[in-house]
Amino acid sequence: MVKPKIICVTGGKGGTGKTMVAVNLATMFKNRGYKVLLIDGDVENPNTYLLLNGKLKNKTEVPYFLPKILEDKCNKCGFCAENCATHALLYIKDSIPILISTVCSGCKLCYKICPTNAIEADLKVIGWIYTSSAFDIDLFIGELKPSEARSAAVVKTLMKTLEKDIITDQNKYDIVILDTAPGAHCDVEELINQADLVIPVTEPTRFGKLDLLRIIELINLLNKEYRVIVNRSSLLGYKEKFLLDLEEKGIEVLGDIPLDEDIVSSYCQGIPLMESSRNSDKNGMGYKSFNEIFEKLMEWGEFSK
Amino acid sequence: MNRKKIAVISGKGGVGKTSLVASLASIAHKAHDVNLIVLDCDVDAPNLALILPPKSKEDVITQDMYTTKKATFLEEKCVQCKQCYDEHFCEFNALNWDENKNIPIIDYLACEGCGACKVLCPESAFEINPVKSGEIISYETSSGLPLIYGKTKLGSTTSGLLVSEVKEHAQNLKKYNETNLILIDGPPGIGCPVIATVSGLDYIIAITEPTPSGLHDLKRALEMVNQFNIPFGIVINKADLKSASQKQLNRYIKKSNHEILGRINFDLSIPEAMSYAEPVVAYAPESVSSQAINKIYTKLKHILSKL
Repeated sequence: MVKPKIICVTGGKGGTGKTMVAVNLATMFKNRGYKVLLIDGDVENPNTYLLLNGKLKNKTEVPYFLPKILEDKCNKCGFCAENCATHALLYIKDSIPILISTVCSGCKLCYKICPTNAIEADLKVIGWIYTSSAFDIDLFIGELKPSEARSAAVVKTLMKTLEKDIITDQNKYDIVILDTAPGAHCDVEELINQADLVIPVTEPTRFGKLDLLRIIELINLLNKEYRVIVNRSSLLGYKEKFLLDLEEKGIEVLGDIPLDEDIVSSYCQGIPLMESSRNSDKNGMGYKSFNEIFEKLMEWGEFSK
Repeated sequence: MNRKKIAVISGKGGVGKTSLVASLASIAHKAHDVNLIVLDCDVDAPNLALILPPKSKEDVITQDMYTTKKATFLEEKCVQCKQCYDEHFCEFNALNWDENKNIPIIDYLACEGCGACKVLCPESAFEINPVKSGEIISYETSSGLPLIYGKTKLGSTTSGLLVSEVKEHAQNLKKYNETNLILIDGPPGIGCPVIATVSGLDYIIAITEPTPSGLHDLKRALEMVNQFNIPFGIVINKADLKSASQKQLNRYIKKSNHEILGRINFDLSIPEAMSYAEPVVAYAPESVSSQAINKIYTKLKHILSKL
């Protein structure tokens, strides 16, 4: 089966420009005639559609297991609570266990082991999946319901949606771009694990470097190929030192993007800088550096239409 | 003042949580009526220690944490019945079948240590054991401020539990009894590490910037905070940014009747201070951002005294 090439844009530190890079890479692939899907895997704070002025469509629920205790069947033995690893079932002798739903991991063990079948598999909604499209780019967006904790489960559902889509139509997409959450948490890990190429976006600050080294450790742990983009590279004139530092550590750099007002205004407008219908400054630092990055990316990956 | 626990969160990453925490900590630590402990609960990417480094490296205490549990397969007990795989014991798809060896294999990254395999296997061929999930690091800064932070072991899956450990660790400090303020640098997002951070707190500072994503993520963070019924105030960073979101942000805050703790205009002193590894209030006390943060502190202090 021909699979689309999957590129994961991540970064460790928050606010380094992951989404901005993901959206513009998607736009450049589209400009060259590739069929592009952009997946927003930052389900705690999905922002890609904001940067593309996209409308959310086809809302579907992400259900998650939650035990439901049938009081008439429960013999108050406490076996479920005894075996619950996260202590989501509270048992007081001779009474029906109390469910603390926020700490339930959804492992279903209680449901499987109840000797009187008094536990039913109930479902709660922990988030939603949407589709959208803008500037001829398709989007899948995952959203975690505020106050729910299991972002990785929403990410998994998002990637299953992609899988189903590819199975029904192998040629639907040439390129899939994944935008991740900040950090190096399980939801980020899940997405890096699905990628062919990983692009960590960083900035030339102490915070940027520390978090970059951590995300690279994770990428290496998952045995993935990566190249770094240094965003806001003209900040305070550290670029050279920062790049040298990465070189010494053997970290390959795909390119850098200097500070550019045009990037900020495209961001706030909801039209990607590299979108051909936008009146972007073709001689601007941002525009030029994105073109350079894209050329290097084309050399790095083998992309086919 | 009774002991208050507060955190700075943001939803969106990179809007200035750590810079604000470092400066507020620096101001509070100097105040004669405040006894402060500062925590960094962004255990996936802890950065506060870069601006508030230890007095001496020798005094840094690092403790390994074992908040994560993982399954271990005991081959000698396995009778190869394949029930575990066929009957889908594991809801997290961490249990796969090795067709060559005819035994189960565990995907350690996917395993959540729930113990379902252990309980359900008729031959008891699985065990659940604690594994290293990260470290908790504690020290005193050069000005004698106690700081504790957590750092996850990558791929260990449970940031939330480590966050709770960092918070508990503060209570073990000798100074805890006389402490009347615990200031926490929170993680970005609104998921499990953030929920673990805000649980049990007295007050939350939500920092944002006037961009479409800043506003969008602020709303989501506050929706989460409201579920826990914790009072909060908003700090707007890069407040003078030219953006259409300015209006929307102000309209949103006004309409929801949220409290604004202060506005910090864009100021290069902040990244400069960071490059010298200092809080901006120490590096450039006269800068516009330092003045704004001092005002925020005064207002915060007033609010906390009334809680």
